[in-house]
Amino acid sequence: MAEPAIAAAHMSLGYAGRAVLRGLEFQVPTGSRVGILGPNGGGKTTLFRALTGEIEPLSGHLEVNATTATVAQTDRSRLDYPVSALDVATMGSLARLPWWKRPGRAERRRAREALAEVGLAELADSTFGDLSGGQRQRVLIARALTADAELLLMDEPFTGLDTTNEQRLEELIDSLAVKGRTVMIATHEVEQAERWDLVLCLNGEQISFGDPAVAISKPVLEATYGGHIVEIPGQPELGVLPAHHHHHDEGHEGAGQ
Amino acid sequence: MFEAFSLPFFQRGLAEILLLAIPCGLIGSWVVLRGLAFHSHAVGTATFPGLVLADGLGFAAALGAFGAAALFTLLTVAIARSRRTGADSVTALALAACLAGGVILASDVFNSGANVDTLLFGSLLAIGSGDLWLAAVVAGLAVVASFFVGQHWLARGFDEGASRALRSDSALFDAALLTVVAATVVATLSAVGALLVSTLIVVPAATARLFTARLSTLLTAATLLVAAEGVFGLWLSVQTNAPPGATIAVTSGAAFALALGARTISRRGMWRAAAVAAALLALAGFGAGCGSQSSGGDGPKVVATTTQVGDFVAEIGGDQVDLSTILKPNTDPHEYEPRPSDVQAVADADIIFRSGGHLDDWTEDLIKDSGSDAEVVDLSTHLPVRLFGEEEHDHEGEAHEDEGHEAGGEEFDPHWWQDPVNVRFAAARIESTLSDANPAASAYYQGRLRRFDNQIRNLTRQTKSCVRRVPAGDRKIVTDHDAFAYFTNRFGIETVGTVIPALTTEAQPSAGDLADLEATIRRENVKAIFPEESVSPALSEALAKDTGATTEYSLYGDTLGPAGSDGETWLGSMKSNVNAVVAGMSGGKVTCFGGQDG
Ligand SMILES: Nc1ncnc2c1ncn2[C@@H]1O[C@H](COP(=O)(O)OP(=O)(O)OP(=O)(O)O)[C@@H](O)[C@H]1O
Ligand SMILES: [Mg+2]
Repeated sequence: MAEPAIAAAHMSLGYAGRAVLRGLEFQVPTGSRVGILGPNGGGKTTLFRALTGEIEPLSGHLEVNATTATVAQTDRSRLDYPVSALDVATMGSLARLPWWKRPGRAERRRAREALAEVGLAELADSTFGDLSGGQRQRVLIARALTADAELLLMDEPFTGLDTTNEQRLEELIDSLAVKGRTVMIATHEVEQAERWDLVLCLNGEQISFGDPAVAISKPVLEATYGGHIVEIPGQPELGVLPAHHHHHDEGHEGAGQ
Repeated sequence: MFEAFSLPFFQRGLAEILLLAIPCGLIGSWVVLRGLAFHSHAVGTATFPGLVLADGLGFAAALGAFGAAALFTLLTVAIARSRRTGADSVTALALAACLAGGVILASDVFNSGANVDTLLFGSLLAIGSGDLWLAAVVAGLAVVASFFVGQHWLARGFDEGASRALRSDSALFDAALLTVVAATVVATLSAVGALLVSTLIVVPAATARLFTARLSTLLTAATLLVAAEGVFGLWLSVQTNAPPGATIAVTSGAAFALALGARTISRRGMWRAAAVAAALLALAGFGAGCGSQSSGGDGPKVVATTTQVGDFVAEIGGDQVDLSTILKPNTDPHEYEPRPSDVQAVADADIIFRSGGHLDDWTEDLIKDSGSDAEVVDLSTHLPVRLFGEEEHDHEGEAHEDEGHEAGGEEFDPHWWQDPVNVRFAAARIESTLSDANPAASAYYQGRLRRFDNQIRNLTRQTKSCVRRVPAGDRKIVTDHDAFAYFTNRFGIETVGTVIPALTTEAQPSAGDLADLEATIRRENVKAIFPEESVSPALSEALAKDTGATTEYSLYGDTLGPAGSDGETWLGSMKSNVNAVVAGMSGGKVTCFGGQDG
């Protein structure tokens, strides 16, 4: 079997020596779609930071055998910048070029292809800030594609999307995986995670990891969200009631960035 | 209307602003995109201590400025990184620290004179070839850096979270940006001065940002805008005779308002147009500036640097001289900034009379930059009485007569005209210079010299007898700054202290200085403190309140008074000063020249 895209062993992560995420122990094969579940402050973004190398593990071991690109949580990108969708998509090529080299014709062509891949070929020359939220999300994915990233980290990409766009994004994720890219998606939707290959449940520590059919269970969700899990009549999925405040001491206020 | 542009110094100003357009436009765009507007303004101000240091220790000003700018940048970045304080508050703190450091260095360590000033307030009318070289080098640097690193500046500014994956997050890229910002600020100093660097770096780029949606258009538009605003500002400066720094600031501000207004109108309907137009009209109303005006007489074209020298030349030359005086009444010579008409007058002059010393040392640049080939006469060089101020000010006003040496850490005291004997010599020198230049009017000049000389001798005699009427123990005064040593030396008056302990009004006293001075005033029973007409009286008044001395009588120090005042002429100013000093020392009991001056 080929070596996994990601391998974490006995890993804990945190800031300034203080761990906020412990007991990480998982392997992600290349080309899989991995859902990451967890409450606000559960450590999803922190894990992504470790995967891009922005922070080092406090202890344990992490191996990432893939070039990585992030599609940031919500809109951390600047809407008022004088850049077109194509300009943004082209930025991805910086990951491959030597530092002193400006993206040229070839990189622009590659960026156009990436925009076409996410269904935005006609909007390539629009100003980024003028696009809708869903379109911007896809431009950022195109940027990751231009970077030729083998591992795409999407931090809550479904936030603020309508059903049509949600559908499209899910299809895009599927097609990326088919082409051999590994995709990790942080999400709050349990039912989405259930449709992907693997799921990682976090709440200050790794609660469970594996095939969603096995790894998602009522006790796991209770431990993950620290709330009461109810089965909603007429629906196969599990529902989550809001968490109780006192359950976990890892500072749930941190609503990510 | 455009003839001024054919003069060499205007062409150098033009070349400078066109060269500067490149770094200011390019780097200004990055400054705006990366939220560094306040930072760049702060860097400009932070160059102050570097300039003072360079001046004091005698190395290149640009080097000092860049050193200070680099240090300031390192400091703010380091502090903002180590503590999670907002970058802006750190910048503001460091800015205050730099200003304080500059003031302390200028006042207490180096007693710097007007040099620092001309650097702090640069001028497009005083551009040397060194400035042009600096601008060209920095322009090249800005182009190269934008070309090779710009893509990373953009990627990181656009989306900081993703910049690591794009390898745009290296601290070296940010360091490169901050370095080029510092270099651009330093190159801009000589054109508009430390306090106005934003008008060339931030404002045009912010204006261009309003109507550009692509990076390449922003960079181009900002560069063209700096060039256009700079050239227009320079032209406006010629038309209104205001300093070019001010007209460029107004121009770029107006362009920004116009762009904002245009955008607003297109979005919100027309009613705002009126408001914007009114604001613009108000701005355009600015600039009824005044500079040197020619007396329009016949004879040689003469420039005088200070009001006193102008008066002496007028006394001797009468209507047989075409006189322009650069400094205006009640303008502190330490705070002079050249106006187009000054440069023009210097360029056209046959003879330039300087007062000499640090009071008008900006003259050298003005003469060099205007391409003038006038005969320059420094009146301070051949005088019977030349005094030197101590580097360490011991408040004794201890002045001793010149033995022809300027060594030993002593600075020439340039206020020589406060001694009438010196003025008699200066007047004679002016007469012989004018006669050489215009022999046809020689008899006329000599006649006027005789008359003036008599008036001076009368003044001296009357003053001496007047001072003698004040009891010897009361002949003590405290003045604003060390401007009256020649006067007190001549008439046997003791200056027991000065509020500003230096020959220049640029310096500031420390709390300890003031406390010592208060003690001295009490101990010596000094009755009057004399503020100067052109210096803010606040400090003197505070001292007076504490000690019970009066500040009722003010003196003409570095400049004469405006037309119509007692101090309009040098003779008038001396009489007024004598009256004030004698009245102050005697508690109002003794007066001289009563009939003539109020
Ligand atoms: N830069 C930081 N320095 C210190 N602590 C941090 C930092 N970023 C996050 N944390 C803490 O780490 C914990 C996990 O945060 P993280 O952002 O990874 O959560 P998350 O699962 O992404 O949450 P959300 O769903 O709200 O985005 C929180 O307790 C948070 O307060
Ligand atoms: Mg998060």
